[in-house]
Amino acid sequence: MTAGRLGRLALADFRERARRPAYVLTLAAAVGLGYLAVPDPGTRWVIMQLGDYRGRYNSAYTGTATALAGALWLTLGGFYVVRGTITRDEATGVGRLLAATPLRGPGYLAAKFLSNVMVLGSMAGVLALTAPVMQLARGESDTIEPGRLLLPFALIALPLVAVTAAAALLFDATPPLRKGLGNVIWFFVWLAVALGGQGPGAPLGGIGVHGVVASMRADMTARHLDLSGQEFSLGLTYIDRPLRTFVWDGFTPSVDFLATRLALILAAAVAALLPALWFGRFDPARGGAPPQPRPDGTPAPVAAPTAPVFTGPPRTVVRPGGAFGRLLVGELRILLRGAPRWWWAVAAAITVAGLVVPLSAVPRIVLPAAWIWPVLIWSRLGTQRHEYGVESLLGGYPAPRRRTLAEWLSGLAVTALAALTPLVRFVAAADWAGVGAWAGGALFVPSLALALGTLSRSHRLFQAGYLPLWYATANGLPLLDFMGAVRTGGHPAGPPAPAVAALSALLLGAVFATGAARRGKG
Amino acid sequence: MLELIDVSKVYRGGKRAVDHMTLRLGPGLLGLLGPNGAGKSSLMRMAATITRPTGGRILYDGVDAVARPDVLRQALGYLPQDFGVYPHLTAREFLAYLAAAKGISARAARARIDELLELVNLTEAAGRPLGGYSGGMLRRVGIAQTLLADPRVLIVDEPTAGLDPQERVRFRNLLSELAADRVVMLSTHIVSDVESVASDIAVVADGRLRRRGTPEDLLGEVAGRVWEAVVGPEQAALAQTRHPVSRAVRTADGVRLRLLAPEAPYPDAEPVAPDLEDAYLAVVHQSDNPADQWREARR
Repeated sequence: MTAGRLGRLALADFRERARRPAYVLTLAAAVGLGYLAVPDPGTRWVIMQLGDYRGRYNSAYTGTATALAGALWLTLGGFYVVRGTITRDEATGVGRLLAATPLRGPGYLAAKFLSNVMVLGSMAGVLALTAPVMQLARGESDTIEPGRLLLPFALIALPLVAVTAAAALLFDATPPLRKGLGNVIWFFVWLAVALGGQGPGAPLGGIGVHGVVASMRADMTARHLDLSGQEFSLGLTYIDRPLRTFVWDGFTPSVDFLATRLALILAAAVAALLPALWFGRFDPARGGAPPQPRPDGTPAPVAAPTAPVFTGPPRTVVRPGGAFGRLLVGELRILLRGAPRWWWAVAAAITVAGLVVPLSAVPRIVLPAAWIWPVLIWSRLGTQRHEYGVESLLGGYPAPRRRTLAEWLSGLAVTALAALTPLVRFVAAADWAGVGAWAGGALFVPSLALALGTLSRSHRLFQAGYLPLWYATANGLPLLDFMGAVRTGGHPAGPPAPAVAALSALLLGAVFATGAARRGKG
Repeated sequence: MLELIDVSKVYRGGKRAVDHMTLRLGPGLLGLLGPNGAGKSSLMRMAATITRPTGGRILYDGVDAVARPDVLRQALGYLPQDFGVYPHLTAREFLAYLAAAKGISARAARARIDELLELVNLTEAAGRPLGGYSGGMLRRVGIAQTLLADPRVLIVDEPTAGLDPQERVRFRNLLSELAADRVVMLSTHIVSDVESVASDIAVVADGRLRRRGTPEDLLGEVAGRVWEAVVGPEQAALAQTRHPVSRAVRTADGVRLRLLAPEAPYPDAEPVAPDLEDAYLAVVHQSDNPADQWREARR
């Protein structure tokens, strides 16, 4: 395949994605991140610090801070942004058209990889444009040095863009990873990379931050600043007092550093092309997922009856009747049908664990486990009518708000049932604060899932948003604890349950408002 | 009675899909014909309360269906051109869910679903997940759901797509029977689907209602103006630029053309009895070419 042909294929794919409204939102998020990466000198929230210090906002430090924050964001959020490119070709039928052309699997994958890089690269580009604006806005240095400003983007952000683009494609082309399970797995892979990739011994230089930190430490030492106990931190952090500053004029990359960055890009390209070994080119018989799989994941062709007998209209007299309960059962079926047996087995094990573990472990271990396990089930809320094209049928049905309510209640039922035994233990122990926090969480999770699913019409937004929220709670951050897992003196330390319930009501209100607006827009 | 009064639909970007169209429908079957992109589906979606018109009114038994869509939705059976299903549900579960969404009592829903599955010959397959159904079987599920609530208004958009010829004939017969005491609106670009069942035909092009009448009315308009002739390939190519050609069949003697013209286009052209396809073509062709000579000559 010629480079020109590859470029045209990638460009067409990029255009298709860039013309979606969601793309503008991702660019806006990049601008927001650029703002956060260079915070006001007096703020208590920072993204990058070296102990009690930060660099003065010159081009080198601003560019590095923005590029590093961008690298973290692009590898997590960016992954979910570029996910699903092969699935989309399958759903739209474009894949079958391409399959009938001489385009071979490696060429198709290379074009998709390049298109992923373009999408993520454009987000990095927006960040790079935001950096000088923020440097001037903060007013600590008026001299823009393009080389020092952009070097971190080229050496840190770009290789990670390539890695993320390749990982998204690899997951898309690997049947077990192509859906929600892949999204969940990536979150934990990202955690490992973001934390482990900062160390000096990280493979291929990790995320590339080590060389930068070493350079900063050398400059601080040269300026006789006290470095004892000063740890580098990357990630949104609350600090007790504003950071002191030092002047850092950037770093000169060593040949070894450049070589590891290049190796990372090459490794990414290899990973992107690796699925050519099993990619089925949209032939369902060769491992590509059939459009509508059965619960056990295998297609079940049903023999078509040969002679339909349209004998005449049915005669049963139709009477209206209390149908809400059956609607709720239907929504529960839609939500839960398709979950494999092993999923139910683990859910049952968590339920049993809730009964047998010591009470102190119930909020800290069992409850978080119970409320992460159905993450793929919850992420279906608000998306399935659109995903399966059923909304074109339901548009002509009465009482759409009643259906939305039934859908939310089905999510609430799943949430409550998943953590039923923790509730029983709290009640038995007369832990009423725990019961309240549990109830707040039970309302919050389906509301969040339904709201994000309805707004985005995609599973990914909830999966990408809920996992960090849950992780923060499971790691003992009380500020975001929506379920009462973090305890101080035996009482939930997170936000008050009524506040969580109120937020849930707001989210539910957003769901109904979105539905009404979409129906009104027609 | 379903009334669409001076209805328009302008999409974002200024695309006018439906342009001041008025249709009043009582019991009977209205066949809505038109080329692709004529505005049929937009009109059907507005009539089915899916899409709100940007102008005009839609009334069902005098009730404003735009302001109070649930009144019409309670009485409506709608089959869109494209629709999906929940692949993990069985046909029976899917129909039960839709019956609940319609607000039908449990007992009536059970009996009705049994009848409908029998009607569309899916009783045996009713317990299997819809994900394994063929396109034609899914279409039949779609047909079944339109009849769940014994609708007084049936709106079906390209309903026979995906059905085999035998199924198409039987479905048309069913529609014909239903139309005895219901409003049935059938949209298609397959003229033969309408020809056999519709007593009332509306031809739509460029978002406007171009003609409405009985099949006999439409046929009467082209009587004596349909010709057949065998010509050479070059003449055939030329003819297509001058006249609406409804058929062109290459034979050993040349190309047998069937075309519309106010008078014999060739000395050996023979007049033939028009069919609905000729009449439809005449209306659509006139829409594309308002100053068309053959129409002018007829006047």
